[in-house]
Amino acid sequence: MLRGPALFVMAWRNLWRNRRRTIITLSSLAFGVMTAVTFTSITDQSLGDAIDLAARMSNGHVTVQERDYRDSPSLERSITADDALRARLAADGDVAKVVPRISGQLVVATATDSFGAGFVALDPTLDDERSFAPLGQIVEGKVFSDARGIVLGKTLAKNLGAAVGKKVVYTLTDKHGEIVSGLGRVSGILSTGSPTADAALCILPLDAVRALIGYGPDEATQLAVYLRDQRRAEATAHRLSAMLPPNAAALSWAEVNPDLAGFVTVKVIGSEVIEIFVVLLIAAGIFNTLFVSVMERLREFGILLAIGFSPGRLFRLVVWESLWLALVGLVVGVIVTAPLYHWMHVHGIDMTARVGTNRVEIAGALMPMVVRATIYTDHAIIIAVAIVAVTLLSGLYPAWRAARVQPVDAIKLGY
Amino acid sequence: MSEPVVVMEHVSKQYRQGSTDVPALRDVSLTIERGEFTALCGPSGSGKTTALNLIGALDKPSAGIIRVEGHELGSLGRSALSELRRDRIGFVFQAYNLVPVLTAYENAEIVLALQGADASARRATVMKVLGDVGLSGMEKRRPDAMSGGQQQRVAIARAVAARPAIILADEPTANVDSETAEKLLELMEKLNRQEGATFLFSTHDPRVMARARRLLKMVDGQIVQDERRS
Repeated sequence: MLRGPALFVMAWRNLWRNRRRTIITLSSLAFGVMTAVTFTSITDQSLGDAIDLAARMSNGHVTVQERDYRDSPSLERSITADDALRARLAADGDVAKVVPRISGQLVVATATDSFGAGFVALDPTLDDERSFAPLGQIVEGKVFSDARGIVLGKTLAKNLGAAVGKKVVYTLTDKHGEIVSGLGRVSGILSTGSPTADAALCILPLDAVRALIGYGPDEATQLAVYLRDQRRAEATAHRLSAMLPPNAAALSWAEVNPDLAGFVTVKVIGSEVIEIFVVLLIAAGIFNTLFVSVMERLREFGILLAIGFSPGRLFRLVVWESLWLALVGLVVGVIVTAPLYHWMHVHGIDMTARVGTNRVEIAGALMPMVVRATIYTDHAIIIAVAIVAVTLLSGLYPAWRAARVQPVDAIKLGY
Repeated sequence: MSEPVVVMEHVSKQYRQGSTDVPALRDVSLTIERGEFTALCGPSGSGKTTALNLIGALDKPSAGIIRVEGHELGSLGRSALSELRRDRIGFVFQAYNLVPVLTAYENAEIVLALQGADASARRATVMKVLGDVGLSGMEKRRPDAMSGGQQQRVAIARAVAARPAIILADEPTANVDSETAEKLLELMEKLNRQEGATFLFSTHDPRVMARARRLLKMVDGQIVQDERRS
């Protein structure tokens, strides 16, 4: 009976000798699980959303471009984005979509005014709002369906005095550094909620821009690569680099958008610090419970040693008690956390009324004002393992103390 | 010729109290043979419990040699001493003998389980010894649902079940009423006569002394009288 597994039976029964103390300890463990899961899932969801949105506002989770484009952006630095290359990149298991783009700077003018702006030239038959978010934020008109169309940010259109159907002239430098101009008719006006994008974004037809700046039919400044899971960006960028011609490089979103990467790092570290404090508080509570429980049973341990328990077996008995605490605490934690997590995952907390807008631009990414929760599986596993590990570690000293009991001294206690 | 189970040769034990050494046992030599029913008696502080603790490998002597079935205790490490206690020595303390979270059956079984005896043999032995101590039908009771006398019976069953070389009983009747004490003594005497179990008691109780077939009187850490009765 006590060979191996039966120690866990004794440990389980010992756990319930002082029900109130065990329930209080389990409550603190459950609260720890709930706190850790809630903080982590909010961080996972909000940062994941921000990164995905940033990718959809720019050129993907991974951007393939000419090797020196990042340090010296210019339409002179193009890549050949033919169908064969796109198909090779799209065949990677982590890649969901690959689309060609041309992006740069231009001056857009009407008869009354002119403004500098950024532009993204794309093919609306390849791109949609899932790969380029502003396409879903057209509030007047629609995306262009011919080579003359242009979509303007709302603030930019207002500043230019341009409306849907009106003509604008855009001027930019071509592949050879020469100034060229194109005539466009406003097909749509977009409102992203980002002041930067609304004041300085134009969307142009890819083929029209190619023709204007002297690009060939497969040339582009970027291939925007969208992934199934943004956390795979670094590894995927590394893999895709091996498939590219020598003049091209694949960069992760963190390399393209270091401000956002820095913001994400700060948020993640902040979340980890909170979790470490939660874990330390849990550890202190468990240590206290197990230590008091051991000190109350010294005479019993003396008896067990007298009848043939080895010190190692006593050590394992107390370790089993801490393991039971951890496992039951984890289960109770999951049970109390699940409804809160479900509600946060489905409904979230709407901060719109408090903040006054439904999105806030942080480090170039639009953060939604509904705080939702989704936890990555590996983070949930890390929390579970951390809770069990810290509980076991907290039990090591009490277990060692139990194993060090001198039977002759312990048995004297209680007479 | 009888076989010695316990041999003590010139054993002394001193305890440190503050800056002074207090002698608890002084140059004690003693042999306990198989099948004996022996009581160590004497006033409080005379060294009875110290002698039992030393024989039971719960404590170490300051000087001298102790052998249990030929094993010299001083030469054994911690784990070997654990195994010796498990396999060759049974203990009955004066109270709170049992593991509170185990039933009467499990308490009586625990030493056999530690020895690794197979389940069917354990069951047969435990059911027999619980029957011998008059606890048939109470196998599933936990200590908190048993009287002090019943708990002592379980402790005796546990001590006897593993068939140790010697059972050390430290004031086994101290915390029970007279009637229960008589019954416990009858039980242990019966186990001694029928099963050949060797008992060594420490006691103040005249009822224990009256039943003992060998009486060792201790004063100030020394055996001053060794009386054998038929």
